[in-house]
Amino acid sequence: MYAKIPVWYISILLPVLVGVLGLILGERKGSLIAKLSAISLIIPTLALGHYWANVNIAEGVVDPIVVDLTKYRLGTFALVLDGLSAPIVLGISLVTAFVAIYGYKYMSVRIEEMHSEGEKAPSIGAYYFLYNVFAVSMLGMALANNLIFFYFFLEVSLISSFLLIAYYGYGDRRKISLLYFIWTHVAGALFIAGVLYYGVKAGSFDILTISSTGIISYIAPASTTIGSAYKIAAAAIIIGLFIKMAVFGVHMWLPYAHAEAPTPVSALLSPNLIGIAGYAFVRFAFPLFPEVIYKIHYYLLGLAIITIIYGGLVALRQTDFKRFLAYSSVSQMGYLLLGIATLSAYGIGGAILHYFTHAIGKAVLFMVAGVFITELHGLRNITKMGGLARAYPLTAAAALLGFMHLVGMPPTIGMWSELLITIGVVKAIPLTTVDNVILVATILILSFGISAAYAFITMRKIFYGQLKEQVPQEVMDGFKYAVVVLAVLGVVFFLIVAPLMSPLQQASELVASLIG
Amino acid sequence: MEFTGTGLVVEPNASLMPWALIWGFSYLGAAILAILYFIGVKNEKIYGWGSVASIALSTIVSFMALGKVLGGQVIYAASSVTWVPWINIGIGVYLDGLGAIMAVIVSFLSLLIAIYSTEYMKGDWGVQRYFFFFTFFVASMLLLVTADNLVLMFIGWEGTGIASYALIGHWYTDEEEYWVGVPGRKAFGTPMYFEPSHSGVRALMFTRIGDVGLLIGMAALYLLTGTFSIPELAADTGWLATLASKGVLTALLLVFTLGALAKSAQFPFQEWLVTAMTGPTPVSALIHAATMVKAGVYFMLRMAPVFLLGASLPLVASQLQTYFVIIAGLGAITAFMMATMALVSNELKLILAYSTASQLGYMFIGVAAAGVLVSQAHEAAALGVVAGLSHLMSHAIFKAALFLIAGWLIHAAHSRFIDYMGEYAKYMKVTAIAMWLAGLSLMAIPPLSGFFSKELTLKAAEEAHLVWVYALGVITAGLTAAYTLRMILRVMHLPPKKEGHGHPHEAPILMLAPYTLLAILALVIGLAWTWVYPELAKGISETLGIALAVDAVKELYQVSIAATGTIITLGWVAVNFIAVAAIYLALRVDFDSILEKNTIARAIHDFLFDRWYINALIYIVIVGGFAGLSMILAGIDHVIDLAYHAAIPAVFALGAAGLRALHRGKTDYYLMLYMYFVSIILLVLYIIWG
Repeated sequence: MYAKIPVWYISILLPVLVGVLGLILGERKGSLIAKLSAISLIIPTLALGHYWANVNIAEGVVDPIVVDLTKYRLGTFALVLDGLSAPIVLGISLVTAFVAIYGYKYMSVRIEEMHSEGEKAPSIGAYYFLYNVFAVSMLGMALANNLIFFYFFLEVSLISSFLLIAYYGYGDRRKISLLYFIWTHVAGALFIAGVLYYGVKAGSFDILTISSTGIISYIAPASTTIGSAYKIAAAAIIIGLFIKMAVFGVHMWLPYAHAEAPTPVSALLSPNLIGIAGYAFVRFAFPLFPEVIYKIHYYLLGLAIITIIYGGLVALRQTDFKRFLAYSSVSQMGYLLLGIATLSAYGIGGAILHYFTHAIGKAVLFMVAGVFITELHGLRNITKMGGLARAYPLTAAAALLGFMHLVGMPPTIGMWSELLITIGVVKAIPLTTVDNVILVATILILSFGISAAYAFITMRKIFYGQLKEQVPQEVMDGFKYAVVVLAVLGVVFFLIVAPLMSPLQQASELVASLIG
Repeated sequence: MEFTGTGLVVEPNASLMPWALIWGFSYLGAAILAILYFIGVKNEKIYGWGSVASIALSTIVSFMALGKVLGGQVIYAASSVTWVPWINIGIGVYLDGLGAIMAVIVSFLSLLIAIYSTEYMKGDWGVQRYFFFFTFFVASMLLLVTADNLVLMFIGWEGTGIASYALIGHWYTDEEEYWVGVPGRKAFGTPMYFEPSHSGVRALMFTRIGDVGLLIGMAALYLLTGTFSIPELAADTGWLATLASKGVLTALLLVFTLGALAKSAQFPFQEWLVTAMTGPTPVSALIHAATMVKAGVYFMLRMAPVFLLGASLPLVASQLQTYFVIIAGLGAITAFMMATMALVSNELKLILAYSTASQLGYMFIGVAAAGVLVSQAHEAAALGVVAGLSHLMSHAIFKAALFLIAGWLIHAAHSRFIDYMGEYAKYMKVTAIAMWLAGLSLMAIPPLSGFFSKELTLKAAEEAHLVWVYALGVITAGLTAAYTLRMILRVMHLPPKKEGHGHPHEAPILMLAPYTLLAILALVIGLAWTWVYPELAKGISETLGIALAVDAVKELYQVSIAATGTIITLGWVAVNFIAVAAIYLALRVDFDSILEKNTIARAIHDFLFDRWYINALIYIVIVGGFAGLSMILAGIDHVIDLAYHAAIPAVFALGAAGLRALHRGKTDYYLMLYMYFVSIILLVLYIIWG
């Protein structure tokens, strides 16, 4: 169905307008801009709530503004919400809104710190402009129906996040932002090359087509529209998405970028942005290249397990809190890929739900890291931490909830994604022989076990034991309330997961049926 | 006689209220405590009594449920709306005999221990957090035992895990007085002393690994049957035949049971329970003796009848038998192994922890024997299940009492080591009597409840012809008497080995009353066994409505002192009892000097004291292995990093330098290059079009 008002365009444009206002105001009224940003970014969550209550999201909620570019052989540009994109949109909306509140104190301190080091930094208003553009570009990616439209938002996200790292990052930020820029553009170039190759031949870049009454449906596979050339397009698109997703082997850019970005940006980069590659894989690669995906799905399963284990074990060796979280993100992307690679509706739905889980869990953990950076003089070295729970009890509670998300423990939403992915794996590797029973038990025990190990060992290193040096007692403010409340929301969505589940089931079963 | 599904309730027959309040009240209590903390309320009395109040309400509903169930009605309540669509998970309560008995045991013990805690934790710096997790634990445990579907059970299961983690690490600042183990002691270079925060991670990791197995099993059953509902799984056991026909039944059930084995600290998962003793003692009593560690046994009691229903097919029966023999074997190994460790331990709570794992072994033996018996004589299988539940109940009571007593003794001695305790019977008469009652029950001396329940598990093993399991069980019974008597003698009657700073005196009433009451219960239940066990048997026989043909075999599980097996066991217990009494009271053997002189004695002592070196083995092989792998992978990561971010840029830099060399800034040189390339282009064009 079509929405009555252009709700998704409003969701995208309003935060940009707030950002422009911030740009004009510069250093003035930063706190107001932070609040306005949060309010404008929470709109999609409210819209979702409205549609859940009133319509069947699984059939798609299409923005009434549809740009018809078929005469340029580009297809149509539309913004579509369905069961697959709903958890993604919710994850982006909640995290960006809470991090907007959180970012005010963080960035004020950061900008002041840069000034005192004699460096130039753009104003807090400029930060919110870039931040909001970055945030809504991800929304656009989640909602886009068309490959070129998607790529447009992808490019906006890359440039805005690149500038955020280059302007406000840590360490050798010029070099690292450039490294981030090149890597993501290698990924982007591969992706767009494959897209162009496909689209020029097919004469359209649409993936979801929209009927006059607003009913969405997938296009036919590339093999039927462009013949044997689909393999080249598939290779370019899939590899591009893997780099973006940072699976094992092409993950190397991530620890640099996510560790050295200003922490509110890390909190968006790590869970929200890279996970979209997993979503795009399901949304675009599944309908386009079902034969290829079927052919490689066991390799993908292996790659997923390697990514989970590798990311988790390398994370254990990290001494920098943010770099640790970055490797954990690599490992978590393995779970997304694991669910996807099962090719079953359960696994796919689990992966999409895990995007949401990871968005909340990892954002909370990055925000926790940022609390210490801001309030404890840039403390981010895990070996210098310890005993912080005594001084920061509520922050510690938020961190524990954050880790429980990653491990998939109730009462966090992580339990549901873990359960769905497990069902998917058991479906993909049916337990019909003793060998398969042993195989499934081994890979899942290793994967879940290593996730639990790095999470709870790090929890101990940071929060338990004796304090290494005297730290002030936690004083709650909006900055830290944003962390705690976001963590608690993960529990709330554990309880009220039903609105997400039914549309996700329909969307996942539809996508899974494309593979056949 | 066949197992029949008569009376199996597969359709909800009751409303969710009030039965969901069994766990609902406690979750509500926990949530209120969390909100109070969040808004800055710190008054510890509010937390303590808030916890007690919410658990008391849960207890009342539990007793109401038991009353109704023993009246012959199974309560099956399910929500009309689906909580989680797609995988069809609703909120449901299933209260048959097993569920109701468990709910009463859990809530009643929790209530007593919560009251004890208000005194024990007075003035503690983390008391608010303590009562939050305590209440959350009780709620989760009650959810676990009353859930009508596996996922709901799993949520309770994991909830108890996270609460256990938090409470084991309650004193996470890790001061030495809160450690477990002798500071500085190592086995093969592996430290054998554990800080609370370390123990918390261990508990979580060991149980988490098992839980993944449980999760896999749930997923597999769901894919086979399309349901997580326990009554529905029991109603149609065709899935057992499907699995058996592919030859994977044994393997899959073992994976499914990993969670139960880990939770109940059965070999090879026993290590976490030992070091869990860093938690406050009421936590050890409740979680690590009376309730959470029984979750695995509960799982077996809940699922075993379901498995047995499918055993009418020979293919299923043979694979089930293999499975149950393995479970019985693990139980027997655990029972024996942990009892030997308890013989030499010098920490009061450690002795009790070893003993807990050991006694849990008996419960597994009982349930597993039921599974083995099913293929021999269907009627007899009831014996094993009744034995498992009986021992679960009697152990929950006497072990909770012992732990609560230990909490007071450790407080009185200002030390966790028994070397600093002694002759306490002089100062605390009531506590001494309570310890004797609970201890004699642990030793399985008639007429205490422990005697009857342990005898039943041994009898089940005997009937099932599990010779080695039975033999280990009997041997362990003797060892149990030995370590328990040693503990009581040294703490209560012999002079302390070392001078401490203790001020022994009788416990305050809020602590004294709960454990005295429990100790008396251990005696009363024993004395009234003839009346208690038919109720238990009736309760368990109605598990999922699966009639276990109890009435037909009443005489089979009647414990008789005159039976040969019982005489042998009691004789062996008496030998151990007298030996220990002689060693400590008459001979006054000086173990310290023997250990100093005799290297063989010392080797045996160290082997037992360092827990058969299993902890060292786990740390060296598994933890060390993964740490090594982690180091290697981090090295590989560094190489990948260099390849991308040093080697590739270097190649480009070289290329750039080469290209730069072409650009010399001389006009004649550029002209020449220009002519050169133009001619090539012309040539190409000529070839194409010419």
